Amino acid sequence: MNTLYRKLGQPIYKTFNAQFFLNRSSAYKSAVALENLYPNSSLKLSTPSKPFQSENEKFNGFIPIEKLDITYSKSSGPGGQNVNKVNTKVDVRFHLQSAEWLSDEIKLKLSEILSEKITKDGYLIFRSDLTRSQQLNLADCLEKIRGCIRRSLVEISEPSPETQERIRRRLERAARERLLIKREKSQIKRDRQVPDVVL
Amino acid sequence: MLYLQKMIDTNRIDVSKPVDLVAILNTGLYKLAPDQQQFGVNLTDDGADIFNAKICIEVQWASELVIAAIERAGGVITTAYYDPHSLQAMLNTKKFFERGVPIPRRMIPPPDAIEYYSDPSKRGYLADPEKVSEERLVLAQKYGYNLPKIEDDPDYEMLTERKDPRQIFYGLNPGWLVNLRDKVILKPQEEELVKYYAQKVGSLRV
Repeated sequence: MNTLYRKLGQPIYKTFNAQFFLNRSSAYKSAVALENLYPNSSLKLSTPSKPFQSENEKFNGFIPIEKLDITYSKSSGPGGQNVNKVNTKVDVRFHLQSAEWLSDEIKLKLSEILSEKITKDGYLIFRSDLTRSQQLNLADCLEKIRGCIRRSLVEISEPSPETQERIRRRLERAARERLLIKREKSQIKRDRQVPDVVL
Repeated sequence: MLYLQKMIDTNRIDVSKPVDLVAILNTGLYKLAPDQQQFGVNLTDDGADIFNAKICIEVQWASELVIAAIERAGGVITTAYYDPHSLQAMLNTKKFFERGVPIPRRMIPPPDAIEYYSDPSKRGYLADPEKVSEERLVLAQKYGYNLPKIEDDPDYEMLTERKDPRQIFYGLNPGWLVNLRDKVILKPQEEELVKYYAQKVGSLRV
């Protein structure tokens, strides 16, 4: 075993209070290193600023967080000291008309659909105190915003004239049958009485 | 995470260097028992609301909220797998070196875990860093914070430092034999051993 190793008299650095002077060029690279697993990747951690927005998609889910006005407050309900002290309720608001990250089409639809959530000054408000964690409540608020925007973009098409005709006939038939059953039951009840005509 | 923040605030962990399992075990406060099927640190979301330390940390399991909390503070988190044999070596490193055994190479995760560690959304150590960058933005958008630009950070080199998937200790390659008494490291020279420890030789696939 010893013959397979050659001594290299090198002063070593302390291993457990390790000091890292990792020389990049001589760093250990095994066969399963990231360079070999992903040869076409840059292997660098970067910070992309905005996700891809295609022409067809009107809203890709991106919300610029710095444009939102986020405030934290205490939640309501039971919970003792925790609910009294911890700011878990999240209030997210932004001025709808001056939001550049939304298209005019979306702004119009939101002002119609979410008219109850808009203040006199034109601020759209979203609140959440769903969980015990402030971060999760903030995530919930953002999900609500995204959900509302996506729902506003869904166009509910009117049913075709054939479908409308079919629905009308269906309702009419149902009414006819209902009245038929009603008359039959009424007749049964009348048969139980003494007849009016005395023969 | 609350415990981690406490350890950082009380200077138990040095945040100017990458924090891995060895660093956490060296504090003496964290107990790990590999023979009881424990594979390392599971960073929970206990103190995620108040966590604000910029660290480069490597754990074995982390939930989404935890990853978001660390990245919000400007840090980098990676999830890595260590097999039980490597864990025993890391538990008491001094004792391991005194045994006079060459450092083993870390095994690849078993089939039920390899998907987790190749997933960029879980920041797996076998995942593509470019995809991890995209996932960082996704998480920032989900949890509502502005992603701090780590490229502009003066500690970028330290934050993006990573071990090789076969490496157990920072700065030490598998196959090396550490002699604490004579303060010497013995490195294998025989071709067979070098190939076994899979230092990149051409395009060898192990």
